Amino acid sequence: GQEFRFGPCRVEGVVLQELWEAFWDMKDVVQAQDNVTSVRLLRKEILQNVSEAESCYFIHSLLKFYLNTIFKNYHAKAVKFRILRSFSTLANNFAVIMSKLRPRQENEMFSISENARRRFLLFQGAFKQLDREAALTKAFGEMDILLTWMQKFYQ
Amino acid sequence: DGAAVLPAPQNLSVQSTNMKHVLTWSPVMVPEETVYYSVEYQGEYESLYMSHIWIPSSWCSPTAGPECDITDDITATVPYSLRVRATLGSQTSAWSTLKHPFNRNSTILTPPGMEVTKDGFHLVIKLEDLGPQFEFFVAYWRREPGAKEHIKMVRPGGIPMHLETMDPGATYCVKARTFVKAIGRYSAFSQAECVKVQGESLPL
Repeated sequence: GQEFRFGPCRVEGVVLQELWEAFWDMKDVVQAQDNVTSVRLLRKEILQNVSEAESCYFIHSLLKFYLNTIFKNYHAKAVKFRILRSFSTLANNFAVIMSKLRPRQENEMFSISENARRRFLLFQGAFKQLDREAALTKAFGEMDILLTWMQKFYQ
Repeated sequence: DGAAVLPAPQNLSVQSTNMKHVLTWSPVMVPEETVYYSVEYQGEYESLYMSHIWIPSSWCSPTAGPECDITDDITATVPYSLRVRATLGSQTSAWSTLKHPFNRNSTILTPPGMEVTKDGFHLVIKLEDLGPQFEFFVAYWRREPGAKEHIKMVRPGGIPMHLETMDPGATYCVKARTFVKAIGRYSAFSQAECVKVQGESLPL
């Protein structure tokens, strides 16, 4: 069966197609709320050329931010827009993935983890530059960009 | 104001087989009346971070029968909390919550149904269609001493699949099991089914 392989980190028990279907169900509603069309948080330069070794650190940081900041603060909108089902599918599957990621902490991995951290800080920095609600809406709407990037590691 | 005068549904439980999950409960009996029920669920994320948020079930908000197919609601391999309440006109019962959260990795996986046929000298198998979550591992061999077992992964079920071109006079056997990627589990193998090919068996 297929699994996520973020470098040394393996994640089974998540069906990527279920995540895509959940996002497609809410995509129009969510992205219609994003009025700041000139800005992209998950920019190309952040996501391109992520090495296998870096990928576990990077996805761990991203999913942690999505679960602890974006999903946690977006749920009122999810109720309002009646997209709780999709919201729940994505949140719970992201939680499964995160719970199975074990980024290595050895010293020799420091430079790799630092690269991943810099990428994440670029994303977080762009998020913080926007108005809070606009940033939440944009980040939630950019989950297709995130899923597309994750798909490369689904084998 | 619809105060909770109806008794809450009791004996909630989930029966799950081959990734089909059904929540059942004891019906609330009111003579000559139809009682309706509403089902709601919470994934682990909601129960940890937003425990006040409950999501109406896809098919059972409301429903008349004392059961609910929650398969489409369970979309992650995490514990799900489930609750049910009864409604009769303006009367509403309290919520009854499933005692132990349900996780789809506890589903019962049965050996798959299969049809093994011959199409001339071709060994063909048709497996039970169990839905997109299922892959099938098919083992087949020629019945003779020291026979080598071949394995093929088949997906999806429900479509005839060519396994092997058989030798005249030989007997071939097949068995299969399922694999569910979302929970990383296999079923047991089915009973082996064998077919014999007409004609003289070729000298080895």
